[in-house]
Amino acid sequence: MKNLSKTSKIPKIIELEDGTTLIERFSSVRRFEHWFAVIIFLFLATTGLPQKYYTTEWAAELLRWFGGLDQLRGAHRLFGLFFCTHLVIHLLNIVLEVMRDHIRMTLFPTRKDLSDMVQTISYYLGHREKQPIYPKFDYRQKFEYLAIVLCSIVMAVSGLVLFFPIELMQVMSGEVILVAREMHSSQAVLALLLIIIWHLYGAQLSPEVFPGNASIVHGYMTKQELARKHGAEYERLFGPLDGQSVPRQARESSHEKKEGV
Amino acid sequence: MKWLNILGLLGVISGSAFAEGISVKAADPARNCQNCHAQIKSRLHFSDGSSQTLQVDETQLNDSIHGGRLGCSDCHQEKWGNTHPSVESRSVRDFSIKQSETCKRCHFAHYTRQVDGIHFKLLNQGRTDAPTCVDCHGAHDVKDPKNPRVVMNRKCGACHKEVMKTYENSIHGKGLVEANQDHPLCIDCHGAHKIEKSDEMNFRVSVHLVCGKCHGDAERMKKYNLNPNVLSTYLDDFHGMSNQFYQTQGKDGAQAKKYFATCTDCHGAHDVQSLRNKDSAGQVRKKVIKTCVSCHKTGKDWLADAWLSHQKPTRETAHWVWGVKKFYSFLIPLIMAGLLLHILLHLWKLRSNRSKGKQK
Repeated sequence: MKNLSKTSKIPKIIELEDGTTLIERFSSVRRFEHWFAVIIFLFLATTGLPQKYYTTEWAAELLRWFGGLDQLRGAHRLFGLFFCTHLVIHLLNIVLEVMRDHIRMTLFPTRKDLSDMVQTISYYLGHREKQPIYPKFDYRQKFEYLAIVLCSIVMAVSGLVLFFPIELMQVMSGEVILVAREMHSSQAVLALLLIIIWHLYGAQLSPEVFPGNASIVHGYMTKQELARKHGAEYERLFGPLDGQSVPRQARESSHEKKEGV
Repeated sequence: MKWLNILGLLGVISGSAFAEGISVKAADPARNCQNCHAQIKSRLHFSDGSSQTLQVDETQLNDSIHGGRLGCSDCHQEKWGNTHPSVESRSVRDFSIKQSETCKRCHFAHYTRQVDGIHFKLLNQGRTDAPTCVDCHGAHDVKDPKNPRVVMNRKCGACHKEVMKTYENSIHGKGLVEANQDHPLCIDCHGAHKIEKSDEMNFRVSVHLVCGKCHGDAERMKKYNLNPNVLSTYLDDFHGMSNQFYQTQGKDGAQAKKYFATCTDCHGAHDVQSLRNKDSAGQVRKKVIKTCVSCHKTGKDWLADAWLSHQKPTRETAHWVWGVKKFYSFLIPLIMAGLLLHILLHLWKLRSNRSKGKQK
């Protein structure tokens, strides 16, 4: 096994003894962030939804489970603070790393994403023979990431308003509380639906990835998979794809020089 | 012979309640008691010096709700033989309290409810002035408490004089007319038998339901041109939502510890007044602020804007809240429809690719 990458903008590339080439998709930090967010998200949903649907029987059941409203609300707020902290660290990290030119903005939407979307839909409808060549993260994944980040910001800000309403009321009108409550409540539903419908389908339930995309577990994607799903990233790392979307052996050997630069 | 006996026992009764059993001879059981008690003049004397008349007005008895249904011995159940048993009570009050126990033989459900009430607890603590069945319903003159309802209020007012005065000056008390079944009486808010202590949390958590019984009834509110949404808007608010939760957990025995605003904090309880055509919006706002800062000590006047005065947010009253609500009601279905459509198209494409592959 040898590690081929030299700079941080080129991901780790590992060649296994059986000849499989693995490209790092998510660093250990990003994987940790993902699973941390999963736990926090599930906990916040569990403690938050009963507060929205307070008349239901399951809300009462959860309340019983937590031992009362004060406990439920306290837990929700504590985990909300964890969530906010993570969000701030994540965003700061992205900004700093981009400023230092350590990372590429692979999740930033571009004009190509729009044309990718149009082309993909026309491929689905049978107007095109092939799918477009996607970058490291395709437009569906970029949409999801940005939507979730945006949801998180709205949730964090409105959540903090609801956490400290009286303090905030020293400088603002009371209507802010009502607006924050409305936003926190609706945005939560939007975020939950995004995760349940879009993320679970894209990352687990879609027949193309079922029973799940394991790259978020071990962090790697095979070279073939990269060529098939994220051709543009493949080309950035290994040179042009051939017409079959499957890398030729010759190209695989030539890239090593390139990586070594 | 019978009359001689009666004359004899009159003398004995007026002597002492603790006298030996009084001998009574019964010829006609249905008329027996009235034979003596219709015109008996003497009184039953107790050791504390109090006394009780032995005369029972027959018409009063017949006019009562029990008239023609119950006989004397249904309530006065002491073992009747040829003698009246001795009365083992120290005072008239003791006697009444003991005698009230007899009601539960028929009205057991009411009895068990009042066992949980504050009056019964006080009685058990030795407060003999706390009311028992006969104090509210009467003894020989028991009437249907629902007809007319207002009579029950006078019973409460007999002890709770100050509160009654306040109540009579409130919008509920002022409008109370015997024929009007809509105005709340004491028992409508406090319950009749299971009367809870009103400064305790388990009463507080259900105050909104007490008020909501009428004010959440759209039909009834329409009659008086009152806002039918007061309960739903309260429950939609943060305090109302918390209240609902505290009520749920209270049923499981986990009593609320934190205080939360409920109807009576702004409107008052016995002194509730109409807000219609009385105070200007500014005055009402001042009242709201006063209530807010009674808990949120550091709160500023702006707090009042966090309350929409029982109105659903509209474009005019709260355009930001209304706007955000509208925005999400369009955004969420729009995004979800787009995403689902995308997923369905993808699935459809995969299926058609597979069937093409099979054809090849």
